[in-house]
Amino acid sequence: MKYLCVFLTALLVGCSTPVPIKPSFPEAPQVLKEKCENLKKIEGDKVAITEMLKVVIHNYTLYYECSTKVEGWQEWYDSQKKIYESVK
Amino acid sequence: MSQITWMLSLIPDWFWTLVLISGIVGTLATWVLKFIPFVSTYRLPIQVASIIALIVGVYFQGAIANETKWQNKIADLQKKVAEAEDKSKETNVVVQEKIVTKTKVIKEKGKTQIEYVDRVITQDKEVVKYIEQCPVPKAIIDAHNAAAEMNKAAEVKK
Repeated sequence: MKYLCVFLTALLVGCSTPVPIKPSFPEAPQVLKEKCENLKKIEGDKVAITEMLKVVIHNYTLYYECSTKVEGWQEWYDSQKKIYESVK
Repeated sequence: MSQITWMLSLIPDWFWTLVLISGIVGTLATWVLKFIPFVSTYRLPIQVASIIALIVGVYFQGAIANETKWQNKIADLQKKVAEAEDKSKETNVVVQEKIVTKTKVIKEKGKTQIEYVDRVITQDKEVVKYIEQCPVPKAIIDAHNAAAEMNKAAEVKK
């Protein structure tokens, strides 16, 4: 019986073939890794409405810059997923 | 077990072909060439050795074919992975360029809007009158600033 076990083990050696391939995790573009800036606050107690308006415009700009980055992440993820799935 | 596999891999492929051929020849010889004195004397040992050689030879021919198939698959996969990595880098460049361009346009638009406020809105007579007479109440400024910093409250809660 033990000779049979040794023989079967020897036969099964041929079936264990390790595949030495490891795709590396894709590196994201540097611009996507930059953090979004904090929104600007209104400084001072007596502030003109136009100054407040300028801060609001500045904050809208920051929002759109940040949303562009989020869209970039989504596009990057979708593209990388397609590329990863093509390797099969 | 990997040591045994490694040791077997040192033996060249032609050796297993030779084992298989000698197994076939030996088996046939014990059946066909019975009239030769040497073969007829050692018929059983030759037959046993030939059958063992036949089995081992067939097994290793299968193993070699299997190994070749896997090596081809590995080479194919390595090629695909290398192509995918190139594509990934190209995609990164495209995404990066798109974001840089969009951000530049957004920044320019924001700057233009602020310049417009400075140049046109603040020159408007009605607005000037409003600026002089009605500064924004502190409560509104505080509410705006609190809203601008609501992300900090979320960070503390983490």
